[in-house]
Amino acid sequence: MSAALEVSHASKSFPGVKALDDVSLTLMPGSIHALLGENGAGKSTLIKIITGLHRPDQGEVTLNGQPVRFANPRQAVSAGIGAVHQERNLVSRFSIGENIMLERLGAHALSVIDYGKLHEEAAKWLRLLDLYIDPRRPVSSLSVAQMQLVEIGKALALQTRVLLLDEPTASLTPNETQVLFGILRRLRDDGVAIVFVSHKLEEVFGLCDTVTVLRDGRNACAAMPLKELARTDVVKMMIGREERIAKRAPRPRATTAPYLQLKNVGTAAGHRDISLSIRPGEIIGLYGLVGAGRSELAKAILGQVRRTAGEMLVNGKPVAIASPADALHRHGIGYVSEDRKQEGLILLHTVLGNAGITVWRSLANALGFLRDRSVIDRTAPVLQQLEVKTPSVYQTIGNLSGGNQQKVSVAKWIAAGVKLLIIDEPTVGIDIKTKAYLHDLIHELAERGTAILLITSDMPEMVDVADHILVMSGFTIKGEVENDRNYERVSQAIMSFIHSSAAA
Amino acid sequence: MNGDKLTRAFDNDWIGPALVSLVAIVVISIFQPSFLSPFNILVLLSAIAVNMLIALGQLVIIAVGQMNLALGSIGGLVAISFAAMMEIWQLPPLLAMCGGLAIGVAAGMASGYVIARTGISAFIITLAGLQIFKGINLGITEAQPFYGVPQSVKDFGNLAMAGPIPWLVLPMIVAGVGMWAIFNRLRIGRYILAIGGNRNAAELSGVNLDTTVIWAHALSGLLAAGAGMMLVARLQIGHPAIGEDWLISSFAAPVIGGAILSGGHVSVGGTFFGVVIIAIITQALVLFAIDPFVVQIVLGAMILWAVGINRLRELRVARAKA
Amino acid sequence: MSIETSTPAVPEAAGGTSQFQKILFSNEFGLVVLIALAFTAFASALPGFSAPFSLFAIGRQIGIDTMIGLAMMAVIVTGGLDLSVGAIGVSAAMVFGWLCERLGLPLSVSIPGAILFGALLGAINGYAVVRSGVHSFIITLASMSIFFGVMIFLTKAEAFRGLPPEVAALGRLKLGGKVSALLAISVAVCVALSVFYRYTTLGRRVLAAGANPRAAEVSGVRTGWMFIACHALTGALAALAGLMVTARTGAAVPSMAGQLGQDWLLPAFLAPVLGGTLLSGGRVAVFGTLLGAAFVNVITAGLLQLRIGEFWIQACLGLMLLAAVLADRGRHVILRRRGLV
Repeated sequence: MSAALEVSHASKSFPGVKALDDVSLTLMPGSIHALLGENGAGKSTLIKIITGLHRPDQGEVTLNGQPVRFANPRQAVSAGIGAVHQERNLVSRFSIGENIMLERLGAHALSVIDYGKLHEEAAKWLRLLDLYIDPRRPVSSLSVAQMQLVEIGKALALQTRVLLLDEPTASLTPNETQVLFGILRRLRDDGVAIVFVSHKLEEVFGLCDTVTVLRDGRNACAAMPLKELARTDVVKMMIGREERIAKRAPRPRATTAPYLQLKNVGTAAGHRDISLSIRPGEIIGLYGLVGAGRSELAKAILGQVRRTAGEMLVNGKPVAIASPADALHRHGIGYVSEDRKQEGLILLHTVLGNAGITVWRSLANALGFLRDRSVIDRTAPVLQQLEVKTPSVYQTIGNLSGGNQQKVSVAKWIAAGVKLLIIDEPTVGIDIKTKAYLHDLIHELAERGTAILLITSDMPEMVDVADHILVMSGFTIKGEVENDRNYERVSQAIMSFIHSSAAA
Repeated sequence: MNGDKLTRAFDNDWIGPALVSLVAIVVISIFQPSFLSPFNILVLLSAIAVNMLIALGQLVIIAVGQMNLALGSIGGLVAISFAAMMEIWQLPPLLAMCGGLAIGVAAGMASGYVIARTGISAFIITLAGLQIFKGINLGITEAQPFYGVPQSVKDFGNLAMAGPIPWLVLPMIVAGVGMWAIFNRLRIGRYILAIGGNRNAAELSGVNLDTTVIWAHALSGLLAAGAGMMLVARLQIGHPAIGEDWLISSFAAPVIGGAILSGGHVSVGGTFFGVVIIAIITQALVLFAIDPFVVQIVLGAMILWAVGINRLRELRVARAKA
Repeated sequence: MSIETSTPAVPEAAGGTSQFQKILFSNEFGLVVLIALAFTAFASALPGFSAPFSLFAIGRQIGIDTMIGLAMMAVIVTGGLDLSVGAIGVSAAMVFGWLCERLGLPLSVSIPGAILFGALLGAINGYAVVRSGVHSFIITLASMSIFFGVMIFLTKAEAFRGLPPEVAALGRLKLGGKVSALLAISVAVCVALSVFYRYTTLGRRVLAAGANPRAAEVSGVRTGWMFIACHALTGALAALAGLMVTARTGAAVPSMAGQLGQDWLLPAFLAPVLGGTLLSGGRVAVFGTLLGAAFVNVITAGLLQLRIGEFWIQACLGLMLLAAVLADRGRHVILRRRGLV
């Protein structure tokens, strides 16, 4: 039996980083194939190649034995590859039914749409997913979970022979997940080839029959049958090492007064009863899955999300931070954004223009004048210390590698001498070497007295770096874990907090 | 559930503007009874008819998430071409009308094509288009109107069909119903709204972005052409300045009618009442002998007001979901 | 989600050669070449083209168009636009006329007064944009008609023709016997703006806020105030442009910028776009705006003197704008492929 979909020896590079290196994936009809890998392993690049968003630099993609080359996602869909992506792709003002049937609204531009029939057919797909809502409702009126189900329905309605699902259960309850799995098993029995991408290993083991693991842009394994593997085997392939032994000794708990304290804080974003304190020189980790509310909490500290309850204290004094400018210039609080390209850096500008942005105000003379020389004097040492690789400070930062870009986005806060640095998902999509470097850097900053709040969903990173870990889920703090660098114990403790809240 | 239905009724785009129109008519006719005279109604309906096509021409571009600055100059170019074809080439009005519509469609398609293929913002392309079409207009007319408009055309633009209802409302009804059908029942209209609503989702779902954008601009050009020719009929000459003052009102009416400028949500009914409100206020200012330039101020203020309200509605929806 | 073309990993660009290539491919250099070519072509075809009065008149108009272009450039930098530049310019000019004629104030008061008035109108625009979160297009579409309407209403559409003689004298002034004073003023403002954007914190913050408001905000830039400041600057420059037109005509005329001030829209965009200021914001080309205005005026003057109908010239300008943006698009593609952007 020939493969339904085959990616052979695909390689793909972007400026500064090789995302995929000789990667292969073989998908047989009538199977549910798991695609696993850590953040930055190359999963999303591979998915984008399969769904037609990118074309591989080398290697080829074959569909039912025929080589294909998709110029855009539309072609992939017409060729019979359906996909449910991580981000929502629905037209919010259209009805559910119209979104589901959007590919098949009519034969030509001037066809009249029979909405009765359209909504009837859509209802069929909704019922399949146990979703009993009126297909005539606008998508904007749905919850996030319902929207995810509608997107799944949309992919199912295409009745493609290849189906790719990227974190399809991220917003679903266990019940809804089981319904979905029932459908996927039925499709599999029908001969459909399914690619299932998920971080949740229990789901993968419960549903899939084959697995391909990517690590650092390469295959750690390709199309291995899952029943021959144990969970620890899979994890080892994903992180490339045994569950880690502590590299750093646990640091003694600081005893100075906290720099930042949150007391029973509630926010307009939905946080409830958040209490935490961060001392100078301390690294507090904030662990949680996507949607837990961690970045929103950071934004609340910066003043971009409104605080509705509780109080916030800096150095023991209650403060009301109105904006990030306030946070930085008045309280020395900085934020390394998780969205490096949209929020962490100004890609259009130079390295100097990015590194100095936090210090312009303090370096200018009375009239507001400021020469590049002063900015260079302040930032060059930091850039050098961080070993940022760039031919000159006037290089457009968009041309640097991801790792170097990230270093600059941290450098600007160091140059400003912040007292508290909030770091959000610092090593997503960053190469291993820079990752280790940034971990060392965070430690060094803490040693020098900076208070650090580390937000990450990368468990090994959390255990390696943080002194004390807070577990967040559903916009509240579920528990605290002291970090003795024992990976088994700490990761178990964290996950038990997460799962107990899911069961609740 | 009943209270919910009531609020949902008011969530409709056209109810608000319709009520405002009603109130305005009542209030004005109390102060100036001549407002409701048959002659005045004729004048009012004629203005509404022309402005409805102008507003619809912009509405279809707003729907796709863009803006058309060349609307007026396409209208003007078609207007003088229409008059020229009848005066210089002696073409019968119907044939000249077809020619005019064709020019409008062609001009729109040209804009749409450049926008779709180059990815350059519609603002700049239509700004260039505005200049180019205006330039061609002035080049042909040398700022002189064409006076040779046939009587039948003049009658169409000035006489009543029945009672106080002018013939001009016919094209308005055709355009209004047609655009409503397009936006609500035809695939092309849904595709236009899909692109305006979520361009990525539309593309992933197989919508051909380029073709749909070109269609939208072609429709816009068609409507502009219609409005231009209606004005030739009404004014009884082919005046090169036709279209020069369409910019503000072409946006004001859709916005008052609830259109969202980022695209994806329009209301033909709301736009209609937006046109009505603007026409009523303009007329009223004349009747009360208020300086005509106050119209500009009022239009600007109405745009701000309407945009502010639409924005509040949007924020309310977003907050309710959170 | 953009569709990326397949590009191999780009090595860090080397130092020397790419710098030269950058200049060669830059907007400014291209414009200088085009201006030189156009000028030589017209001068050889028309005997009167390089005559002192012709050069003076062209230079003076370049000065005016540059100022109009700078006004729009100041707001394009934020990634937005201002349709009301014409309306603000005319309003400020009328305020100037009123201050001079009706209140009899000396020029040392009425000139700054008019410019401040323009800045105020601009700040109102900026505040409305920032507060409402609505795109500047629609806000300034509304404010254009409000400003113009109020102006016409208050002035009853009457011009101020009894201005102090210095005003018209400035319009006729030939520096060094050749160069229009108005052109000199624009050049001076260009220098000041260049310094502003490169050497002051406010200028740097403005560019950061325009390039990526989210990133700038998180990095401690108060983007809201930056945008208001930019709109105020636009208003001030528009007012200055209005004063320059007044100097040229010798009177403050309400119709100087056309209906609602929309006659200024094309030169306002043409100069900066030709000059290399990005419509998406965050990058500014101050002297490019001057060169853009120069190019447009050399071509326009040449065509006029060749007796090409004034009307066809309008169409030409539109085509020029189109060509400019298409060329810019093409240039970006080439530069990006070579990693030079």
